[in-house]
Amino acid sequence: MINAIGISILLVYMIILIAIGVYGAKVSLKTSEDYFLASRNLGSIAVFMALFASNITAFTIIGHAGFSYEIGYGAYGYVIGWSIFITPFTYYLVGYRSWLLGKRYGYATQPQVFGGIFNSKLISLLFLILLLYYTLPYLVVSIIGGSLALSTVTEGLVPYWLSALIIIGVSLIYTLPAGMRGTVWTDIFQGTLFLVVAIFLLSAVARALGGFSEITHQIVLDNPAMLERGVSPELAPINWFSYAFINSIAVIVFPQIYTRILAARSSINLKRVSLYYPLALAVIFGVSTLMGVWGSVAIPGLVGKEADNIVPLLIHQFLSPFWMVVGLVIVLAIVKSSIDSQLLAVAHLLTDDLFPRLKKITSQQAVFWGRIMLLVFAAIAYYVALIQPAAILSIAGFAFSGFSVMLPVMIGSLYWSRANKYGATAALVFPAIMLHLWYLRILPQWTTFGFMPVFPSFVLAIITFVVVSFLTPAPPPDQSKKTFGLFDRVFK
Amino acid sequence: MTFKTRFIVVILIVAVMFILHNSFWLWDLDSQVPLLFGFMPFAYSYYVGYALLSLLAMKVIIDLAWPDPPEDVTEQFTDKEHSKQ
Repeated sequence: MINAIGISILLVYMIILIAIGVYGAKVSLKTSEDYFLASRNLGSIAVFMALFASNITAFTIIGHAGFSYEIGYGAYGYVIGWSIFITPFTYYLVGYRSWLLGKRYGYATQPQVFGGIFNSKLISLLFLILLLYYTLPYLVVSIIGGSLALSTVTEGLVPYWLSALIIIGVSLIYTLPAGMRGTVWTDIFQGTLFLVVAIFLLSAVARALGGFSEITHQIVLDNPAMLERGVSPELAPINWFSYAFINSIAVIVFPQIYTRILAARSSINLKRVSLYYPLALAVIFGVSTLMGVWGSVAIPGLVGKEADNIVPLLIHQFLSPFWMVVGLVIVLAIVKSSIDSQLLAVAHLLTDDLFPRLKKITSQQAVFWGRIMLLVFAAIAYYVALIQPAAILSIAGFAFSGFSVMLPVMIGSLYWSRANKYGATAALVFPAIMLHLWYLRILPQWTTFGFMPVFPSFVLAIITFVVVSFLTPAPPPDQSKKTFGLFDRVFK
Repeated sequence: MTFKTRFIVVILIVAVMFILHNSFWLWDLDSQVPLLFGFMPFAYSYYVGYALLSLLAMKVIIDLAWPDPPEDVTEQFTDKEHSKQ
């Protein structure tokens, strides 16, 4: 199946990644700021591709295509519609103000930014715990999804355990020596690769199926329900509305995304990213949607999880083995570019926010411990991805919702000078508990009034934050001035 | 126009974009509007248009309410003695 040309493509791809890692390590300074934030010197293209590549996971090309196979064209708007606008908007709403504070006070993570705003070690600790709690299962699920995808694309030639090992191992090759710089450089390479190749792949599939118009007319004749959003129970308006509170607004809360925003060189870089981000999201999910819907007519009859294989099946049945290798490289690129950033974010949080609570460490020691943490968590993630414990998978099922529910505290802290640490503490803890009670079905379903649990939890977070802040003493003036004095000078 | 007023305009833009995303009253058009470019049904082409509108909305927001930090403030950013606390 994979001939000499295929092996050559894979080798070239791997060599480029290794070269980036080696060169990145060579030019890196031995400081924590450089290892975890690339010295806050990322330009527009670097920030753009770093955010985009970290944001796109195996779900985009595998899971979303499978969902589109079952649901139709409506999957496009349901999954990514609101994200197209709101995700880049949150880069402005939360990202820019956080970036200002980071530049001014040296903050490098959410625990530092929000702990710093309220001058509270408790807030800092709560952010640390919640971010690790949601990121680790999400990381494991990303590895599981990526490994299954890799195994499927190679038709089992690379078994699941080896796929996971390859994905983690190759990610470490450049992340370990070069830190953020390594992940960002590879993101530029891999992000460009999968954005461009996905479009070529779509064209190749379209040609093989008779052309864009031909396949669409066949859908209109054979399965017209694919065109209509109103006929799918999954796309019921209440679900459509609720889903807007899950994946789209969670992105800015992901530590791997947030940290990359803090690493931008200037305000202009962030503006460019926010401006063009909608197009990149629309293109990659647009390709995935079309492949899924076309697949429903080209290869009908797939049910449940089988539908997730639609992209590899289309490539296998209608294209040459060359495209199989190209598909393999895309899957590897997509999966690794999100996993490497998640691993680095976890190592960063522990090294920068947990270790200093236990022992004073120098910047150089932080780099050393960061690398150790990367190795330790890569090993743990690999082990957990192999045994797939039910508890971890269960938490991962609502990790996105968990991230989303933290957003009201982040926005409120950056915009409302009357907000205080009591309100923030209550608004981080109480909605997180309610989210668990709803998702784990401890509370009856009717208590969400038909919405997905994320929506009532999100509303509860806002109410809790406002009410508790008002009922408790206002923050000291000099503490507010530290944050809002800075903002007053910029936002005039 | 003060920043507060400009920010209210930004919030209104966000509200309009949210309403346009939840435009359930347009779903009846899914089966009625002809395919755009011969292969894009309404449920799909609507979000292609939405992406272009998002770009425009972000452009307005950036021009309206995203000021660059003044130069003297930027200079302070390099002041590492204030780092972290």
